[in-house]
Amino acid sequence: MTRVRVTAPRSAARPAVDSREAAQESEVGQVFVRSLIRSQLRLGIVVAAGFLLILVAFPLLLGLVPGLAALRIAGIPFDWLLLGAGIYPVMGISAWLYIRSAARNESRYRDLTEDKG
Amino acid sequence: MNPVVGIAAFVAVTLATAAIGFYGLRISRTTGDFYVASRTVPPWWNASAIGGEYLSAASFLGVAGLILLSGTDALWFPVGYTAGYLMLLLFVAAPLRRSGAYTIPDFTESRLDSKAVRRVTSLIVVMVGWLYIVPQLHGAALTIRITTGLPSWVGSVAVVVVVCLTVVAGGMRSITFVQAFQYWLKLTALAVPVIFMLLVLAGTGATPLAEPVTNPTGLPSAGLYQNMSLLVALLFGTLGLPHVLVRFYTNPDGQSARRTTLIVLGLLSVFYLFPTAYGLAGRMFAPDLAQSGQADALVLLLPGRLIGGTAGDLLSALVVAGAFAAFLSTTSGLVVSLAGVISQDVLGGSVRGFRVAALISAAVPLAFAFSTDSLALAGSVGLVFAFTASTLCPVLLLGIWWRGLTDAGAIAGMVTGAVLCGGAMVAGAIFGSAATPFWLAQPAAWSVPAAFAVMVLASRATRSRVPSTTSRVMTRLHTPERPLETVRQTAERQSVQGQSSER
Repeated sequence: MTRVRVTAPRSAARPAVDSREAAQESEVGQVFVRSLIRSQLRLGIVVAAGFLLILVAFPLLLGLVPGLAALRIAGIPFDWLLLGAGIYPVMGISAWLYIRSAARNESRYRDLTEDKG
Repeated sequence: MNPVVGIAAFVAVTLATAAIGFYGLRISRTTGDFYVASRTVPPWWNASAIGGEYLSAASFLGVAGLILLSGTDALWFPVGYTAGYLMLLLFVAAPLRRSGAYTIPDFTESRLDSKAVRRVTSLIVVMVGWLYIVPQLHGAALTIRITTGLPSWVGSVAVVVVVCLTVVAGGMRSITFVQAFQYWLKLTALAVPVIFMLLVLAGTGATPLAEPVTNPTGLPSAGLYQNMSLLVALLFGTLGLPHVLVRFYTNPDGQSARRTTLIVLGLLSVFYLFPTAYGLAGRMFAPDLAQSGQADALVLLLPGRLIGGTAGDLLSALVVAGAFAAFLSTTSGLVVSLAGVISQDVLGGSVRGFRVAALISAAVPLAFAFSTDSLALAGSVGLVFAFTASTLCPVLLLGIWWRGLTDAGAIAGMVTGAVLCGGAMVAGAIFGSAATPFWLAQPAAWSVPAAFAVMVLASRATRSRVPSTTSRVMTRLHTPERPLETVRQTAERQSVQGQSSER
């Protein structure tokens, strides 16, 4: 068996500057990049806020609606079902929506920059 | 419990791990393989490996134990452990992959163009890793004591020895296979006994799901502050876990890093249904474990209690095997990432250095584990999350999304977070769990905002130090990969560069 010394550069696995990055560093290129970053950040914050609202709403719902905590479905208390199982699909759906929208933001960016040639 | 069961289960898991590790070893030949498995791991494998690595003693034993102790309050733990991956997806996954760095110190160094930041980050990564390994070793000690009657230290030492052998032999490539296997093993080990227990209960029809809300210990339930602070720690702590982040470099590009995270969310959601079921069943059938201070052993003991005879022994063996898979996978993941950091920063980055570093990374927490007592497993891992949320999370989030971050700001923020959160942990250990005030027991709610605030203010104050490379790095982090270039071409280009820099 051959043993190979680890000689790859530690960081900067990509080249320092290639032609594409040079084009992106032009003023116009940076306008597009900044707008992409802003829209991705906004998307992330919106999805996170939506999820956290739902998460906080769960215990509030249990506290504010009397009798809900005593409710049982198939013998299992409702509050256990809600926190122990019901929250997970909410996470999955949030994640899925985010991935779709993030990919859409990126393909819009790609369209804009590739038109420039 | 029959002691043979525990020993047989441990030996079986170890042999399976070694076999898969060896299979991986045969294809682990090149430089890149050793650190990040050449970035050629498909998303399902990768996601299973992330799940395998992430589901530690705290998830496998601790969550059910804590649910037994404190009921619905403890349900926030699995929710937080899973939701942390949502935050990781939203703010870190794709940019971190696109940064092209191997480790968190690599990332902070290239983002802030500063060796000093690198050193501080490395130090914190090593501290996080060590803190996180200790509860794994406590879990192993507990499992060995409960299941075989052997002294506790045997469990911790056995885990450290097996992990060192695997890591030293194979590097990341075999680790990926081992971890992926261990996720499915852990899931099976929890799920199969639950199904059997349900069948037995349905068959006898004896106890209807009576009063799971009864509190076996009479402890007061946690207040709003504790639950919210815990949630902050778990949501933001996951962002900075070194052994989780290193997995994202094994995705071919940013979008596939996102898809991997989505699969991980699904895998974790399925997994956590089972510790919750154990906790609920434990409240009904084994409340005495909570009173005798053995709550963390609930998962190990419940199948044997509800199902006697050979079937009970076999199911117990399965659960013990799953528990060891949890200790082994999390510990080896942490040891790999710590060894990566230590060998690059201290030992010059050779394969030999990596191996020496792996031994160091495993030996130090072993000494810690001997000198400390086991707390509730889920609770002590919760504190490690608070620590990462106060140190590595701010530097990652601000580094990825804010152009104004400077090296001085990053260091000031990380040190603030480490001192505040670390101080709270030390104070908590000195006071003991009964005498610690609630805000000190769960520090994340104030230590995380403080670290962010110091990082932003110190960066503002040292505005002239914003690195000149910021624009270029931010562009690289956020722009999609060129679609024309395939993964293979990227790899070839990189290997050519690797060779040229060698000369």
